[in-house]
Amino acid sequence: MDRSGGTRKRSVLLVALLGAGLIAVAVALNVSFIVANWRAGLLLLVGIVSFAVLIGGLALNTAFLIREIRKSEQHDAFIHAVTHELKTPLASIKLYLQTLRQRELSPDKQHELIDTMLEDSDRLQRTIDQILLAGKTGDARRVDNATTVDVSAVVDECVTLAGKRHHLVNGEVQLSVSPGTFVVMGDRDELVAAVTNLVDNAIKYSGDRVKVAVDVARAGARRVSISVRDQGIGIKGPELKRVFRRFYRLPAALQSRVRGTGVGLSIVQAVARRHGGRAYAESRGAGRGSTFTLELPMRSS
Amino acid sequence: MSRVLIVEDEEHLAAGLKFNLETEGLVAEVEENGQVALDRLTSEPNEFDVVLLDVMLPGLDGFEVVRRLREAGRFVPVMLLTARSHTDDVLRGFEAGADDYLPKPFDLAILLARVQGLLRRKTWLRGGEAAGDEALEEFRFAGKHIDFREQVLRWDGTEQPLTLMEATLLRYLVRHDGQTVSRKVLLEEVWGVREDTDTRTVDNFIARLRRYIEAEPSDPKHLHTIRGVGYRFVSEPAD
Repeated sequence: MDRSGGTRKRSVLLVALLGAGLIAVAVALNVSFIVANWRAGLLLLVGIVSFAVLIGGLALNTAFLIREIRKSEQHDAFIHAVTHELKTPLASIKLYLQTLRQRELSPDKQHELIDTMLEDSDRLQRTIDQILLAGKTGDARRVDNATTVDVSAVVDECVTLAGKRHHLVNGEVQLSVSPGTFVVMGDRDELVAAVTNLVDNAIKYSGDRVKVAVDVARAGARRVSISVRDQGIGIKGPELKRVFRRFYRLPAALQSRVRGTGVGLSIVQAVARRHGGRAYAESRGAGRGSTFTLELPMRSS
Repeated sequence: MSRVLIVEDEEHLAAGLKFNLETEGLVAEVEENGQVALDRLTSEPNEFDVVLLDVMLPGLDGFEVVRRLREAGRFVPVMLLTARSHTDDVLRGFEAGADDYLPKPFDLAILLARVQGLLRRKTWLRGGEAAGDEALEEFRFAGKHIDFREQVLRWDGTEQPLTLMEATLLRYLVRHDGQTVSRKVLLEEVWGVREDTDTRTVDNFIARLRRYIEAEPSDPKHLHTIRGVGYRFVSEPAD
């Protein structure tokens, strides 16, 4: 991947040089044209116009090219990450099945292996669900078939399940819900996926010391906010918005090899928009934790 | 008893591998971090007989671990385990100095066979019992001295340690001095690989061996490429 990245940089440079060369040639041609035919006013005008079109086209072309290159780089990284996320639990399941088949094992050991395989198949399923959901929420339309959803219940469920999944038993994830009921109109599954992504991220990016606070509270008159605060790796200022882009992954996350495909937060944002709400991130900087908030309009009673 | 180090950050895979290797009567230990594994392998050189190395690791990736291990003069056999089975990744692994690789998901039986293969080749090189052929412990040609027991190539006071696969390949070529051997046969006989592994693996190792034994690697006198067939080792060229 590094190598192809190098090739891409070279091709960008090549295109830039080519562009500069073309512009130089065009300027030279134009100048000589003006000098030779200064009286031919109409021709001059036509020349200037087509010159402008040429330059504009070139600039546009370059901009598109650069954008495509960036996209395809992120796409490669995504494919790599997904490959890893799909193959690893599959490799584990296969290994455990073959172990069960080939070895004489005590019933206790058998159960242990089966539990491991169940965890791996859950992981596999989550990755697949996540990718499918990223595809589904990709268009920014509003949810169809909206029903009433109790936000407190959704968040409670997500926190409990995430705690189980990450084997957290000592209250590492604290949930507090403000008094009152918070009901929104929306798609329950999408909301569960969005909140789960936020809680999972908070745990994943906490390192060894997990301390996550989840708050459900009123935001203004008509909105409910679900905020998830961690004491983890934090986010630098310029990256606060970027983390919501599809396939984007924090350099720090890549370095510490935190698992992930780079679609989780883009799903959160898409779900927020599909419910008429918004999602945003706050952090005091690298290493100082971060807070992700999902804000949704409540059902008007 | 042979000892295996498993370097793998995926808990489940590591535990499954450890359990199976131990059931086979091997001693197995797990490290999750590339850097920690490298430090351990370089500080206690003969602690392990084989290393199973994942590529995507925290600390230091598998390619880098094996590269630095070789740089530090440690030649313990290394098998890469990777979800990235693209040819480029495989070649990159061999270039870094790995002896073998297995794509994930793998077959338990194949994994165990390959680990045993690496262990066996090690004793085989050390002059141990080989399947039906007499031990070949050393070989001299053109002022060079190969010591298969020590996995070292010596000439003019220079010492070049060889990885297990380099030594095994060289040994096979020496045994077939003057004969042409195909890439496919080399893959089968030296690597024990029967699947359609990319034969460029062989080319890579040949290139490495040429750097050691040829005065002019681009104009080989001993290790010839036979176009469309494979390679031929000639200890004493006619001219």
